[in-house]
Amino acid sequence: MADIDSKSPSITPAAVPPAPKVDTPRDVANKSDKDHLLRAIRMALDIESSTVRANTQHFNKNRYRAAANLPDYDDLKDEARRIKDKSIANLPELIQTLKNSVRAHNGHVFVANTAADACRYILDVCRWRAAKMVVKGKSMTSEEIHLNHVLQGDGIEVVESDLAEFILQLADEQPSHILAPALHYSRERITALFKRKYETDLPLDTGEALTFFARQILREKFLHADVGVTGANLIAADTGTLMLVESEGNIRLASFAPPVHIAIAGIEKIIPTREEMAPFLELLSMSATGQSMSVYTSFISPPLADPPFAMASKALKPREFHLVLIDNGRLKMRDDPVFHEALNCIRCGACLNSCANFQTVGGHAFGGETYSGGIGGSWEAGTSKLENARFAELCTGCTRCVQNCPVRIDIPWLNANLGNRLNQTEPSTAIKSVLGSMSDADRVDRSTPVSKMFFGNYHYFAKWGSRFASVANSFDAGRKPSIRTDSSDEGNTSFARVMMEKWFGVDRRRTLPPFPKYTFVQEAQAIEPPSSKGREIKVVIFAEAFTNYGMTSRGLATLNVLRELGADVVVSECVPEGRAAMSQGMIATAKQHARAATRELDPHVSDGRDIVVVEPSSLSMFRRDFARLLDSKDRFERFRKRAFDPVEYVVKILKATGRPAAGVFDISKSKVGHRLFYHAHCQQKTIGAAEPTVQLLTDIGFDVVTSNVECCGMAGSFGYKKDFYDLSLAVGADLFGQVVQQDRDGGARQLIASGTSCTEQLHAGFERKILHPMELLETLIERQKESDKVVKDAEDAEVEADLEALKRSKREASKS
Amino acid sequence: MIDLAATFEEHATEAAAMVWRVKRTPVALRDVVALATGKAQGIVLTEPEFLPVPLVDGLRGLAGVIPKPHDDELAVADVGITEAFAAVASTGSVCVALGRPLVAATSLLMPLNIILLAKERIIERPRDLFNPDMFDGESLKRNLVFITGPSATADMGPLVVGVHGPHRVLILLLE
Repeated sequence: MADIDSKSPSITPAAVPPAPKVDTPRDVANKSDKDHLLRAIRMALDIESSTVRANTQHFNKNRYRAAANLPDYDDLKDEARRIKDKSIANLPELIQTLKNSVRAHNGHVFVANTAADACRYILDVCRWRAAKMVVKGKSMTSEEIHLNHVLQGDGIEVVESDLAEFILQLADEQPSHILAPALHYSRERITALFKRKYETDLPLDTGEALTFFARQILREKFLHADVGVTGANLIAADTGTLMLVESEGNIRLASFAPPVHIAIAGIEKIIPTREEMAPFLELLSMSATGQSMSVYTSFISPPLADPPFAMASKALKPREFHLVLIDNGRLKMRDDPVFHEALNCIRCGACLNSCANFQTVGGHAFGGETYSGGIGGSWEAGTSKLENARFAELCTGCTRCVQNCPVRIDIPWLNANLGNRLNQTEPSTAIKSVLGSMSDADRVDRSTPVSKMFFGNYHYFAKWGSRFASVANSFDAGRKPSIRTDSSDEGNTSFARVMMEKWFGVDRRRTLPPFPKYTFVQEAQAIEPPSSKGREIKVVIFAEAFTNYGMTSRGLATLNVLRELGADVVVSECVPEGRAAMSQGMIATAKQHARAATRELDPHVSDGRDIVVVEPSSLSMFRRDFARLLDSKDRFERFRKRAFDPVEYVVKILKATGRPAAGVFDISKSKVGHRLFYHAHCQQKTIGAAEPTVQLLTDIGFDVVTSNVECCGMAGSFGYKKDFYDLSLAVGADLFGQVVQQDRDGGARQLIASGTSCTEQLHAGFERKILHPMELLETLIERQKESDKVVKDAEDAEVEADLEALKRSKREASKS
Repeated sequence: MIDLAATFEEHATEAAAMVWRVKRTPVALRDVVALATGKAQGIVLTEPEFLPVPLVDGLRGLAGVIPKPHDDELAVADVGITEAFAAVASTGSVCVALGRPLVAATSLLMPLNIILLAKERIIERPRDLFNPDMFDGESLKRNLVFITGPSATADMGPLVVGVHGPHRVLILLLE
């Protein structure tokens, strides 16, 4: 080959472009800069996505099934949260109580302020016992403090005994999931890894063969280990009891076989009493893997009484137990007005498994060196540095994790705040000042990156886009909104779109929705309202920017249907409510917007009007986020109680007036058939506003299939961004696949979507009309009205004919 | 009124454990254990703490039982016989009290773990064991492990039963 190359300059190595370097997970573990984050997403999409998706969705499905079978699931969550809140509040006292408890039964306790302190102590224990080998159970906290690196640096063999950690140790990779650290590995990749590392001819082509192979290696290690290291899921201060949850048995072995047991735990794992471990018992397993109980749940107060199981002379030595409690930033987190919330985490992984972005890329992209997923950003920031939490930008705020967290942590709020603090670290520039000033962003938020400033003040730019609709719409003229399967397609290369991508990060491949000629408010004002006389149900439709400057027909359909149902309906002015700003971490601006929206609605609410919000992400602000953005709980409650999804409100009216759905909405008049595919918005599901739509459509007589994805992947502005366009479409693939599958099973269904951005995402996949549920309802009620008119006209005609006949007979009678 | 034994049996079986109902007599117990262990050469027994000694004593005469096993014998034994402290109907878990000699080893090291469970020690939910009134508050003082089926992993791709702990768990429900 060398000879040929030397004779043929055209194919010399120099002439062949070097293959692009393929990133390994380690290369992109630290995401303190954006470039690493984007490379990690690319790497994960190329290599890990399909396995991560299958495994997380499997966990997710199991958890939903198990939760449905746990009758007091919500009560357990409340109880667990109360215990955690109490524990964090009393943490310094609990640490002292725990120290006394462990020492009372001859254990040792060390409270490490830093990761380095913890490693030094553990190394000292190992040196004191002349340890040559340490076996470890899975412990994210030991990953956090880089324990292996320190011990190995001192010549101690460290053996990871959890099979997932065993794989990662062989592969030299960081965990991709806080519960299942090698979740990104398929069986085939594990086979290849083992064969490469152990140079074996064994086929190792089944899970059983791989497990047996690893077990043989590890059993020998357990029998000869000097020290066993475990973590702890919870620790009871009153008794010093460790709660250890696992499936493989390696943690039991690590705590029982070697003469020395070292347990490493963050101080947030301490709760007051052993009795209070009870609610976590079912909650943790169920939230983690969907099992009613994990295979082994141990409650031990080491050192154990029976002699250590170990070969040679070690059994003669007395047992020793060391509890290493780690602060490493946790007490600082405890003092933080926002991030103390993260200390409630019990590391079950439910927030990871229920996150559509995590399901698609896993923790090597949506995670840092130790912690991953929605909750991971707060932990990376708290235990290392803020910049390492940059991956939290992959949290779109869809809120699907909120319901699934067993201790009710508001993870999207934590991530909005991480975004906020990262924004604050950015330099101020002239262009940011101008944009911030023009859009009236809060001064605090004016160092926010330009792209985020643009998306966070969508209402402002949309207003101008709407005023110059013909110009703005010309940017995408002639481009069909559909998926570009051709990878060479660079998208819209018009000057305007190139500039939008350069300045604002709006991906050129994403077709922009057109601005309507008239806004929703303008259209509504042009309609003569019916007399309000006798209309006791009073409603204000909140004209959020997404409906006002985007999909106005949804707003108009809502207006018309509610009026047809007898409500007295008015439309508010278009005011931002803060959703867009909050999604970009512009918290101060979001608060400003929340106050503006509620000021706009105040007189309407005082007038006894309920608030109907068409866009679910805006409605979610009223129902959830205003609790944090408005000045008082009373203000929040004033609006929360009155805010409704339009279909939810239709159902409320029907119920109040005792009218059956099928009597009001006539399915026989449907122009789109009877078969529907409904995709509810992620935030709409979280606030419980999706079920009424499915129920109403079903009650009317439609055959409704619902998507079962957590989120469509568009997530407001997320899917428009150049940085995340590919990820957004990869997430959307699940939804697209479900639609295609339904089409195959009996013909195309009419697509129905409640969210603006969900509709845009569906438009990227399908060239079809996509209706909002209210648009569909409007056609039924409108057509019914038309047919009612025909009947009435016919009746009038009959009456007229009768009258005419009567007159005629009278005339004839008078003649005679 | 929930049938705790039936519910336990259902859920333990779902968790891949085997449950056999056995009459509470020394002969019946010995016959069933002999059937379950077959020709196993290394059987390790633990001293009973909650069951009557005469009930379990008959097992010592079974072929293959190692009277006073050393660590190297434990490492290669085939069967561990353990007594349950309690069991949980809603999850199919058995709860083993640790601390007495060989309990940790017999419930963890051997490929087959046989667990003797007295029917009256079945409780409804796991959290009931944290009630100070349950079993005289013993469950809040002891080192315990809830065992729900054989050890398992999903880390190697598909679910694999039998990792570091037993591959099979047989629960003998003593009626």
